[in-house]
Amino acid sequence: MISTHQLPTPRLEEWRWADMGALRAAADAEPRDFGIKPADLFLDMEGPRLLFVDGMFEPAHSRPGPVTIARFAPETPHPLGSMAEGEGWALTLDTGAAVTGIQIVHLGSGGESHVPARIMLAEDAVASVVETYAGSGWANRITQMTLAHGARLMRSVRLLQPDGFVSIRDEAEIGEAASLVSVFLGAGGMGSRIDGALTLIGKGGFAEMGGALLTSGTQKQEAAVSVRHEAIEGTSRQLWRAVAANRSVVSLAARVEVARGAQQTDGGQSLRGLLLDRGATVNLKPELEIFADDVKCAHGATVGELDRGALFYLQSRGVPEARAKALLTRAFVADAVSRIGEEAVRAAFEADAERWLEKGL
Amino acid sequence: MLDIQDLRAEIAGKEILKGLSLRVNAGEVHAIMGPNGAGKSTLGYVLGGRPGYTPTGGSVTFAGADLLEMDPHARAAAGLFLGFQYPVEIPGISNVQFLREALNSQRRARGEAPLSGGEFLKLARAQADALGMDQEMLKRPVNVGFSGGEKKRNEMVQMGILGPKLAILDETDSGLDIDALKAVGEGINRIMRAPDKAVLLITHYQRLLDYVQPDFVHVLDAGRITRTGGPELAHQLEREGYGVAA
Ligand SMILES: Nc1ncnc2c1ncn2[C@@H]1O[C@H](COP(=O)(O)OP(=O)(O)OP(=O)(O)O)[C@@H](O)[C@H]1O
Ligand SMILES: [Mg+2]
Repeated sequence: MISTHQLPTPRLEEWRWADMGALRAAADAEPRDFGIKPADLFLDMEGPRLLFVDGMFEPAHSRPGPVTIARFAPETPHPLGSMAEGEGWALTLDTGAAVTGIQIVHLGSGGESHVPARIMLAEDAVASVVETYAGSGWANRITQMTLAHGARLMRSVRLLQPDGFVSIRDEAEIGEAASLVSVFLGAGGMGSRIDGALTLIGKGGFAEMGGALLTSGTQKQEAAVSVRHEAIEGTSRQLWRAVAANRSVVSLAARVEVARGAQQTDGGQSLRGLLLDRGATVNLKPELEIFADDVKCAHGATVGELDRGALFYLQSRGVPEARAKALLTRAFVADAVSRIGEEAVRAAFEADAERWLEKGL
Repeated sequence: MLDIQDLRAEIAGKEILKGLSLRVNAGEVHAIMGPNGAGKSTLGYVLGGRPGYTPTGGSVTFAGADLLEMDPHARAAAGLFLGFQYPVEIPGISNVQFLREALNSQRRARGEAPLSGGEFLKLARAQADALGMDQEMLKRPVNVGFSGGEKKRNEMVQMGILGPKLAILDETDSGLDIDALKAVGEGINRIMRAPDKAVLLITHYQRLLDYVQPDFVHVLDAGRITRTGGPELAHQLEREGYGVAA
C-alpha cells in the first residue's frame, strides 16, 4: 500500500500539475474484471510477447524469447520510479544483435502494480519494443536504458486504460552514435504522468521522446521530459501534441539541457496544444538551459483551437461537423504518431487515436 | 433552383446584406459583380451556412427546401457548392482523403453507397487531368503550399468530383494565369453547363465571362442587387465602372 507521504506534493515545481489524487484513487480502487482478453492487446506481429497482469508476469500468455524476468529494485532519484520495484523484465542484447517487435502488455484490474524494466543494448544492437497499458488501477513503471555505441532502440508506448492511472519513468543513457526514439500515445480514460530523463553521453547521439496525449471529461494527463546533452554533436527531439476536450487538462513540460562543452548540439522542441472545448486546459512549459555556445535549439510552444476556417471548408464540402472536427484533430496529432518507424505499430496507434476521436468528440 | 427573397444578414452585429433578392433557374449562369466590400463573399458564406454570417431576415429556397434551416454539410449534400475566394489550407489532410471523405459523406446523406478507394481515385484522377492539375497534387495536404492559381484549380477539381447542382464561385478567376483561366473556364462549362445545373459567378472581370457566358449579370452594391442585365452589362461595367448610373 502506498502511503501519502511517499507521493510527490504539488508544492514541488516539477509536480505542480500532477494529479496525485487520481493516482491515489486508482491505487485504492477495488479490483474489477474488465473482461479484456489479453490476446486482443497484442498486435499481430512476430516477436517476443510478455503479459503482466496486475504487475505479475503471466507465462501462459507470453513467449518472452530473449527477454528475461527478474526481481530487482532500480536505483533512481525519481519519487515514483523508485517505488517500481519487484518482478520486472530485462532485455540485454550483445554486440550487433537485433530483436524487433517485442511486445509488453500491462493489464490491470485495480489497485497498484509496480514493474521495473531494464534495456541494455551493446554496440550496434537494435531493438524495438511496443508497450500497451490496459484495464484499470495504478500502473507504475520504470524503464532504465543504456545504449552503447551505435545501438538503436525504438519504443512505442500506448496508454489505453479506460480508467485508473499510469505513471511511467524513463531513464536513458545514450552512447556515441546511438539512437533512442520513444513515442507515447495517451488515448485512454486514465490519468497519466510520463517522466523522462534522457542523457546523451556519447558524441553524435540521438534522443527523441514525444507523442500525443488525448484527454476528455475531467481527465488529466501529463508528460515531463528532460533531455541532457553532455557530449558534442548530439541531436534531440521532443515533439508533443496535446488534445484536451471538455474540462480535461494536458500538461507538457519539456526541458533541454546542454552541458558546457556539448558543442554542435541540435535540440528541437515542439509542443502544441489543441483545445476542443472552452473548459479544457493545456499547460505547456518549454525550458532551455544552455551552457555551450555553438548550439542550435529550435523550440515552439503554442496552444490553440481548431481552425474555424478549415472546419467550415470541410463542412461546406459535405463533411458533418463532428467528423470534420475528428479529421482536423487527427491531422493535428499525426506528426507525433508518424514518428513510429514500424508500419504495423504506427497503424495500430493511429487506429487507437481514431477510436478516441470517434468517442471523444 | 435558388430563390433568394429580401435576404438580410449580419456579421458581428453589422448588417452586410440589406434585403437582397435573386432568382436562379436550372440551366442558367448568373454573374455577380460589384465593388469591394459590397457583400459578394458574404452572400456566398450565408448561402453556405458559415457560422458568424447570420441571416436576420428574408428567405432562401434551394431545390424546394429552406436552405437557411440546413446544416452546412447538408446544404452540400443537397447539391450546393461554394468555390472559395480564398481556399483554406489544411495541413495533415491530403486532398484525396479530404475529397473522398467529402464525397462519401454526401453520398451517405443522400442514401447512396459510398465509393471504394479505387473507384474514388479513378474519379479524382480523371477530374485532375481534365483541369490540368498534376496527379501528385492529389496526394499533397489540402492547398498547403499551393500557389493562388493552383488553389483555384483545385477548387474546380473538387467541384468536378462532387458534381453539385448549384455552384457559387467566388472570384475563381482571380489569381489565374491565361492558361489556367482557360482551363477553369472550360471546366466550369463542362461540369456545370447542363439543363439541371446552375452557376452563380462572382467576379470583377469580363475575362472569365468570355469563357463562361452568363445569361444574367447583376450588380451587388452595399448589400443589395442594384442592377440586372444581360451579358452586355458586364462589358459596360468594365468600361465605365460601378459609379455610372443605370
Ligand atoms: N469576419 C468579418 N468581420 C467583420 N466584418 C466583415 C467580416 N467579413 C466581412 N466583413 C465586412 O463585410 C463587408 C462585405 O465583405 P465581403 O467580403 O462580403 O465583400 P466582397 O463584396 O466579397 O468584397 P471583395 O470584392 O473585396 O471580395 C465588408 O465591409 C467587410 O469588411
Ligand atoms: Mg469577396
